[in-house]
Amino acid sequence: MTFYEKEIIRINGIIYSNQEQIETVIGVRSYIDNNSDTDLNLDLLSHLRFVSKFHLLRLFKKHYGLTPRQYLIDKRIEKSKEQLRIGMSVTETCFAVGFESVGSFSSLFKAKTGKSPSEFQKEQFSRCILNSES
Amino acid sequence: MKVTMISIPVRDQEKALKFYTEILGFLKKKDKPLEGGNRWLTLVSPEWQDGPELLLEPAPNHFEPSKVFQDALLEAGIPWTQFSVENVDAEYERLTKLGVEFSVKPSKMGTWKYAVFNDTCGNNIEIDEEL
Repeated sequence: MTFYEKEIIRINGIIYSNQEQIETVIGVRSYIDNNSDTDLNLDLLSHLRFVSKFHLLRLFKKHYGLTPRQYLIDKRIEKSKEQLRIGMSVTETCFAVGFESVGSFSSLFKAKTGKSPSEFQKEQFSRCILNSES
Repeated sequence: MKVTMISIPVRDQEKALKFYTEILGFLKKKDKPLEGGNRWLTLVSPEWQDGPELLLEPAPNHFEPSKVFQDALLEAGIPWTQFSVENVDAEYERLTKLGVEFSVKPSKMGTWKYAVFNDTCGNNIEIDEEL
């Protein structure tokens, strides 16, 4: 066994000793992945797994480095890129991926990607044209 | 400042190009001749072609400490870097059939699944999937 494997096993035993907690956060993350377009909140997520809100918040942050809300926003932004690429309008995309206001969608999108949704879309289209011409 | 590139030290750039494109599936992006037969050689992921580039650099051939460091990591089984995949098990199956040697078979650690293979150019590389 290599040095790396020995170290991994040692660290694993220390930081991932509670298998039940791991299953809880993996379950919650996968629920968010599959339901990111619906109205999700911490109450609902904690009821799903029979844990307290604050416990879930702490656990999720500990294992994924993000709060469930931050994770959900990242997921929706990723999905919105796919919709914008296939030509869906900014407003339609906003509601399709689960955001409730175009204003907050646009500002979150810009904060995460550096571009507004419409700038992003224009760029994707011009790239498509370039590719088809070359 | 933006992250646009990560570099991987390789002993033989041509061999590395073959392994990273034909076996792993990366695409060649830039290939520019430098002095002494060295090349500025970069690759991208097919599904993220405007994403960060992978630089296959011949550092170990020209700078002894780089070679020593690379050898020590290889010997200890420590990955030089890691790539994200959709499914570690599927990628393990695919690469094993192509003759790639794994020092760590697909394993779980907390919310991660990972495996480690030898890139035949002097490095261990990890593939991982967040669960």
